[in-house]
Amino acid sequence: MPRHTIPDILPGTLDLLILRTLQTDPMHGWAISERIQQISQDVLQINQGSLYPALHRLEHQGWIEAEWRTSELGRRAKYYRLTTTGRRQLTVEAGEWERMSAAINRVIKFA
Amino acid sequence: MGTDVSRNQPRHQIRVAMTIRDLRLRVRALLSPRKVERELDDELAFHIECETQKLMASGLSAAAARQRARARFGPVPLAADQCRDKRGISFFETLVRDVSFALRTLRRAPLVAVTVVATIALGLGVVTVAFTFFNAFFFQVDAVRNPGELFSVERLERPDSSSEVPFSRAEYEAIRRDTDVFTDVAADRPSFPTRIDGRAAVGMFVSGNFFEVLGVTATRGRTLTEADNEAGGRAVVVLSHEGWTQLFAADPAVIGRQLVLNGHPYAVAGVMPEGFRGLRQQPPHYWAPLALLEQFRPAETRDQGWVEVIGRLKPDTSPGAAAAALSAWASAQPGIRKPENGIVHVILRESRGVIAEHRGEAMAVFAPILFAFGLILMIGCANVANLLLARGLLRNREIGVRLSLGATRWRIVRQLLTENLVLALIAAALAFLVSRALLAGSIHLVTSILPPEFTEPTDSAGLTIPPGDWRVWTFLVGGAVLSTVMFGLLPALHSTRLELVRAMRGEVTKDARPSRVRQMLIGSQVTASALLLVCAAVFLRSTYSSATAEVGLRTDDTLVVRRITESVRPAMVRAIKDHPSIVSVAASWPDPLHGGVSRDATVGAATLEVGCKLVSPEYFDLLGINVLRGRLFAADERSPAAGAIVVSDAVARRFWPNGDPLGQTIRLGAASGGATEAEGEPQIPAQVYTVIGVVRDVRSALKMFDFGYAGVYLPTTAEQAQTSFIVRVHGDPDAIRPTLLDAFMKVDPALGEIASMRMLAGLEGAILEVFFWIAVILSSLALALTISGLFSVLSYLVEQRRREIGVRMALGATPRDIMRLVLSQSMRPIAVGVVVGGALAAVTAIVLLATPLAEMIGTLVHPFDPLAYASSLSVIIATCLVAALLPARRAAHINPIATLRAD
Repeated sequence: MPRHTIPDILPGTLDLLILRTLQTDPMHGWAISERIQQISQDVLQINQGSLYPALHRLEHQGWIEAEWRTSELGRRAKYYRLTTTGRRQLTVEAGEWERMSAAINRVIKFA
Repeated sequence: MGTDVSRNQPRHQIRVAMTIRDLRLRVRALLSPRKVERELDDELAFHIECETQKLMASGLSAAAARQRARARFGPVPLAADQCRDKRGISFFETLVRDVSFALRTLRRAPLVAVTVVATIALGLGVVTVAFTFFNAFFFQVDAVRNPGELFSVERLERPDSSSEVPFSRAEYEAIRRDTDVFTDVAADRPSFPTRIDGRAAVGMFVSGNFFEVLGVTATRGRTLTEADNEAGGRAVVVLSHEGWTQLFAADPAVIGRQLVLNGHPYAVAGVMPEGFRGLRQQPPHYWAPLALLEQFRPAETRDQGWVEVIGRLKPDTSPGAAAAALSAWASAQPGIRKPENGIVHVILRESRGVIAEHRGEAMAVFAPILFAFGLILMIGCANVANLLLARGLLRNREIGVRLSLGATRWRIVRQLLTENLVLALIAAALAFLVSRALLAGSIHLVTSILPPEFTEPTDSAGLTIPPGDWRVWTFLVGGAVLSTVMFGLLPALHSTRLELVRAMRGEVTKDARPSRVRQMLIGSQVTASALLLVCAAVFLRSTYSSATAEVGLRTDDTLVVRRITESVRPAMVRAIKDHPSIVSVAASWPDPLHGGVSRDATVGAATLEVGCKLVSPEYFDLLGINVLRGRLFAADERSPAAGAIVVSDAVARRFWPNGDPLGQTIRLGAASGGATEAEGEPQIPAQVYTVIGVVRDVRSALKMFDFGYAGVYLPTTAEQAQTSFIVRVHGDPDAIRPTLLDAFMKVDPALGEIASMRMLAGLEGAILEVFFWIAVILSSLALALTISGLFSVLSYLVEQRRREIGVRMALGATPRDIMRLVLSQSMRPIAVGVVVGGALAAVTAIVLLATPLAEMIGTLVHPFDPLAYASSLSVIIATCLVAALLPARRAAHINPIATLRAD
């Protein structure tokens, strides 16, 4: 099965994936990328170099916030958590994605 | 309905959300950069650590796992850099880097840096001089409490007229007592010339609550209070900071000192802080209680004299509503002077010590002056731009290398602009010092050109250098930024437009040779110089024609004594007649500075408006106005009622072109509608007069003052109220003036003015001379900058084209051909500049003549004087040719063989 780094698919989707991954629990960067890879059954792989800039950008936008905690490895790690506005943004972006993919699907099936 | 697919993409770029959280993160990154950096490193290291652990768990050795994890992550510094970009403080970091790089570059080329800084500092300093005055006139509000609430109360003659009817002290007291739109109302009486211990000083007479209403306190001693104004007033003064420093050399023990003010003893009660001007543009020397006004002006009683009324508006009242309420109140009040229809029109004007009336017009007058000063800065910028363009070629290689290493063009432009901005800001700081020095110099210039009578304080504590406040600094920084754009943007854009490969090889590509830009810059410099030089020439010609103008009156040994106190007139007449230096005395009304009072003169069917003047019999002889026919006034003809008049030659020829005017009669009409005669002024009865003599015309070629011109003379005497004295003295009138002043001040402490006729006649020329010198200084600066720019550009171009010139010469071109080649290159921009500059000057003149000022400008200066244009434009062409000739000669002397060998 071919692997894809995220920006190859559709620009802008990385934000959505990060926000969705953080919906339930706070996570640090590595865990986020692992989780996305796992859930997508290795189809989606995040380019590590673009994950952290994206995280910092989202933090500045106020959609996620960071906190230093001790990790399972016993080292201090930066954990990201969804904020209220982030939650709202996730709904918006997820809805947007649904509409887009449904539209594209329709075009592929019926055009 | 559809979704724009591309909308998804740039969303996060568009939304640069400035949330509070965002701001907090940015501030944190700015304030503790080390901590944030460490956190970033930790975060990325943790990721690699996790990855390593995972790989080790799948069976790799620790070393291999670490290596793989690193490889998978990609370059850590790159990711870190991208994170920093998102942090949004990279702007500042880049700025710091650019500035430090700029400083290093400048240290490497100190001569360029010094040239740029000096040029810009000069240009910016010159324009700051103009702005400092502009600021003082329009923006520097007086240092009082809540100046926005202060308004002067003015009563208009008619609702549509701008002439005011001032309030008397009794009316002021009524306003203060009976109206309720102000929290309090103060009054002041603008200054008239006074002397403190014999030195000219300017004072204001103010109501007791003046300082309280303005909300200011004294720095030493106390301010005036109500008690000082009660029961005839207490003889105390409060000094302004200027009065304290000018009259008392800032003596700390000045409080309680006695001084003699126009012959009356006074005590100093206090000193006001620096910057307090008493709601005027320039501070007076002192403030004295209003109740003491009658000591100086006996005629100004409580009901007769006038004051300016200043009110502090209640916070919840609008000026319009207050003016309406005051108008209604004044119309209904019995004690208030009213126009014929009984309706008083009161208006409120802002009173803050800056120009409030006709602000727009005043600014319109000032704008061209500011522009003229700004031209120097523009020329300086053009010079610097040229210099930087040349330097840009030298830095081609450096810029080429950086571009090929991946720097964006914007990044390099930004760095070059930062470099220029650093220079411009250094220049701005220097420019402040330059402007202070120039201000001191210009005040020195004005006081040395204008006669001392003119600059000695008459309505303020004299010419002082306006303070440079924060607005001046803001102007300087703004000017620095603007000039950076003017001189830096073009070269920066030019030097980054490169063909990479050739630039790195060190070849100057044809594309980057900015010859057209250079020509444009030179052309605009010549234009600006031409404009300024034409102005200077026009002023010079006007000054000359004014200085050589025939005044028409004897001015070498005559003086005017004006505005004496009427109650001491008999004593004054005696004092003048008895003074040993005075040869003869005459009286006139109006005084010789002014022409006649206008009346309709009728002979038969012909009516002519003539200027009428009341003169004593000695007037003609004293001022050298010869009799052409008939006789002058006899001793018994002492007033117009005698019915005898002397007419000027022009009037005689107009009415009796062929006949004999002597013995003919003229009917003079009554004063025309609007002009009402002030009380105590001499009357010219409307009646029939007989012509007894004809005198030569007094035709003054001066334009500002209507020197002595009159068509009809009527008899009067020195005893007549309101007349001024004209005296002829032995020797130099300017040397005798102080002695006369001392002697007559003893008789009349409130004596208005003694001025020599020579000074008065020279005043117009002196004022023009000031303008001339300003224009000369500006235009010579402009020309010097232009020439140096032209010279360096041409020298540089010759240097650049050395090889080409060598080839041309080897192929048979004569030195003459080469000179022609170089000169022709510079001639085009010079020719264009001269033509455009001359045309601009003419257009400016046309525009100025279309404004309300036209009448004054048109008669005072000759804005289309062909000689001025021709001479100034030839000066420019000649100097530019000389500047171009040297590089051209150098080009002609190039040794072709040596040049070709050198390659």
